[in-house]
Amino acid sequence: MSTGSIPQGRVVRDPGFPTERENYLTTSKGVFSWLFTLDHKRIGMMYLAGVTVAFLVAGLLALAIRFHLLAPGGWLFNRPIFKSFSDKDPNDIYNQVFTLHGAIMVFLFIIPSVPAALGNFLVPVMLGAKDVAFPRLNLSSFYLWVFGAIFFVSALFASGLDTGWTFYTPYSTTTDSSVILATMGAFILGFSSIFTGLNFIVTINTMRPPGMTWFKMPLFLWATYSTSIIQVLATPVLGITLLLLIAERTMHIGIFDPEFNGDPVTYQHFFWFYSHPAVYIMILPAFGIISELISVHSHKHIFGYRFIAYSSIAIALLGFLVWGHHMFTAGMSSLTTIIFSALTFTVSIPSAIKVFNWLATMYKGSICLTTPMCYAISFIFLFTIGGLTGLFLGTLATDLHLHDTYFIVAHFHYVMVGGTLVAFMGGVFHWWPKMVGKMYNELGGQISAGLVFLGFNLTFLPQFVLGSRGMPRRYATYDPEFAFLHQVSTFGALLLGIGIFVALVVLMHSLWNGRKAPANPWGGATLEWMCTSPPPFYNFDRAPIVGDPYDFEFIEWDNDNDRYVTAEPERKLVPGESPAPVHAKH
Amino acid sequence: MMMNPQIFDSVLPGMSMKLSFLADVNDGFWFPKQASSFAAESDWVYFMILWICILFFVPMVFCMVYFPWKYLKPKGAKAESQTSHNTPLELAWSILPSFLLVWMFLQGTWSYLDIRTVPDGAYDIGVQAFKWGWTFDYGNGTFHPELHILKDEPTKMSMRSSDVIHSLYIPAFRAKKDVVPGRYNYMWFKPSVASEKVSESELAAAKAEFAKAGGAWNYEKYQFTPDGYRFYDLYCAEYCGKDHSKMQTVVVVHETQAELDAWIKQYSSRPAGEEPAVYGEKLYNRRGCGSCHSVDGTRRVGPTFQGFYDRQHQFVSGDTITADANYVRESILVPKAKVVAGYAPVMPSYKGQLSDDDIESIIAYLKSLSADAPAAEATTPAAATDAAGDVAGATDGKATE
Repeated sequence: MSTGSIPQGRVVRDPGFPTERENYLTTSKGVFSWLFTLDHKRIGMMYLAGVTVAFLVAGLLALAIRFHLLAPGGWLFNRPIFKSFSDKDPNDIYNQVFTLHGAIMVFLFIIPSVPAALGNFLVPVMLGAKDVAFPRLNLSSFYLWVFGAIFFVSALFASGLDTGWTFYTPYSTTTDSSVILATMGAFILGFSSIFTGLNFIVTINTMRPPGMTWFKMPLFLWATYSTSIIQVLATPVLGITLLLLIAERTMHIGIFDPEFNGDPVTYQHFFWFYSHPAVYIMILPAFGIISELISVHSHKHIFGYRFIAYSSIAIALLGFLVWGHHMFTAGMSSLTTIIFSALTFTVSIPSAIKVFNWLATMYKGSICLTTPMCYAISFIFLFTIGGLTGLFLGTLATDLHLHDTYFIVAHFHYVMVGGTLVAFMGGVFHWWPKMVGKMYNELGGQISAGLVFLGFNLTFLPQFVLGSRGMPRRYATYDPEFAFLHQVSTFGALLLGIGIFVALVVLMHSLWNGRKAPANPWGGATLEWMCTSPPPFYNFDRAPIVGDPYDFEFIEWDNDNDRYVTAEPERKLVPGESPAPVHAKH
Repeated sequence: MMMNPQIFDSVLPGMSMKLSFLADVNDGFWFPKQASSFAAESDWVYFMILWICILFFVPMVFCMVYFPWKYLKPKGAKAESQTSHNTPLELAWSILPSFLLVWMFLQGTWSYLDIRTVPDGAYDIGVQAFKWGWTFDYGNGTFHPELHILKDEPTKMSMRSSDVIHSLYIPAFRAKKDVVPGRYNYMWFKPSVASEKVSESELAAAKAEFAKAGGAWNYEKYQFTPDGYRFYDLYCAEYCGKDHSKMQTVVVVHETQAELDAWIKQYSSRPAGEEPAVYGEKLYNRRGCGSCHSVDGTRRVGPTFQGFYDRQHQFVSGDTITADANYVRESILVPKAKVVAGYAPVMPSYKGQLSDDDIESIIAYLKSLSADAPAAEATTPAAATDAAGDVAGATDGKATE
């Protein structure tokens, strides 16, 4: 059998292309049809646009940080141009820039990126459902995100924010920058996150189609479900913490500020009780994406489905028990410190399981190095480094040296950027044809993946060495002996920026010049590939009957039409199933 | 394309150093010199973890590269296998690495317990961290911004902060501990390598240059202290605001007790015959006054001392008061009593940390700064705008002496 020919005697199924009335993008027109939409796909697309803008703003701030660190005494913010429109000290500008970079990236981009943007689009489609369980709650979560973002941006224009994204007391209760505006922003964003999580939990619990048992769900849904549990359980603690912080700042209630008999370390416990699980809000959905990408582009059943699914839940639960590892040097008792170190090591096991399973999935597969696959492989490499370097930080003896140095900076960027961002980009390239109905330039996408990979490593590998050599983080200026590595890192950041820019150009270009996307461009077996690209307004006419989401046996390449189709042998219909539309050609 | 090397150099001073960062005061590629009894232990744990990681990472990267190359197929080709799981294999790779994790945890914890348990009779040094500097208390009223300790002597730091959280970090000792306001935090270490002393001629040359240039002693440039010792870096590692990155000082490890005692004695009180104003200037530098009060009219966190003494100032309360000797004394002991308009009440009290003679010397120094200075600018906060940019240049040293 030559590749691409469909065996005789099979019923070829492909939904073809949507009509203008069916297509969710064109079914109704006008700005208000978007602003007041209850369609999860449109809300997902609005989220995608929103988080992309937030990402670009925070990314430019990151470049500004790197260009300030080009010279030991500081470079960018010492330029005369900055003096001409601001009388702030260069160090102050630097501190505000790194704070906004962190805060925008964490609260406005990484946390909502995969769950809210891709999740909103994909969860109902993967379930074969028409929408999420609570469409109005879904729209309100988007507007909460917008309001939260406005608070953040107004903090920028008020008097700036210079506390770091962690708002540590008593610095945050004494600084004269606009802490209250920013914390109100984070508080509102927390509700946006809780609403999304709640919605997904109910949707996945109640709206699975016939045949989709828990262990027949795509792994992306397992990851989303675990994430939602964390969002619902942990985010309220952040809300409480931020309200207490505001109360401390305005009314001096004496809980965090030592001047009023409070304890600053209490704040750290409160803060990290949310923010450590939040790390898993950021990375778990990325795991889900990678499980889909590796399996689909290897055209092979995911290896160790149950272990991957269970490990998502294990990470979600263990993630609640390790917050103390952010405070090994803060002065907790020795016993507490040692217990947190031990618990921290337990989280590494489920993460490692996933990586082993992904590699095993590629073994003896039929691999296509498409753009999403390039991003997925790049993710495994970068996330492995991020995970392994976590071991140095969980180990007490070495953490005392590495804590609060560039080693930490490199470690969490490997997890958050090398992990979440790369997976997010891989996911966007993977589902882009589904979302907009257009194919992008494959070579351009592959080039962007390569540039991002090279640029990222060039930026952050030197930072591990900077850290172990003793360079503290959040420094606006530094000793000359660190200059060379900082400069390498800056050039890497520039390359990374170019890579991301190329990705953006490739995707935008496809909107106008891409060829029409078939329903199933990659050969996936999950339900989103069974409806048209882009999906019709109601996704599916009736709930589809589903089997194993990673069974590629009947997915065949249709060389004549540049698409994958389902080509099953003739079979009797399951009671209640109506014959799927047949399109041999179009 | 040819590039003018000088332009390149002015933009990127470090690039011209090429790989000289490897041949700095620091020894290896990964770490600065090991200078405390923990350093070797900590580095050993580090390299143990590093090798275990490499052991896992190399085969994984091999799979990441080899599989996509070996199993790269044209579109539509079926996978050779559809194996969906292999429970014994998966259990093996879930459980076996756990033993290595337990091993890492135990190694890290044993070393940590050594680092946490302060031995009896350790030499105790009080540490006060403030925005943005350090003061070390050597007892008997001797305070200094440099940390001077004795080789092979267990030394305990009793640390407090007068404002926000700081963190005392000495990379060469592999030691770090946060300094949290409202509580004492402790750390200890045993330095194992003494600081060298530079030759008399080198020191004299640097001192002559310093006397001519004025300003603060440039530790980075000379790479030794004003007393002629090589040093280890001491950083603040917890973000604490504007000059966080300049909250640095140096550690000098003395070979013998006699040498350390002699160094402390130098700074314990005003030497006989020294003018109070001259000694006042030394105290100004040594006790960190300069991180908030300039002497050249620049606006910093607090009012400048130039032309401050004996002039009239507007206060937050609305009163106009002459800054006389009594006012200065009160402001040192109870800083929040009378605050100059336009400034925040952030200065910590120096009660019990300065002797009567010290305060007298500081007053004399302030008096000398008013003698031939222009009219005070401190009453007009608007003058701050053009001066703010100069602060970076003015405090370009580490600890000021």
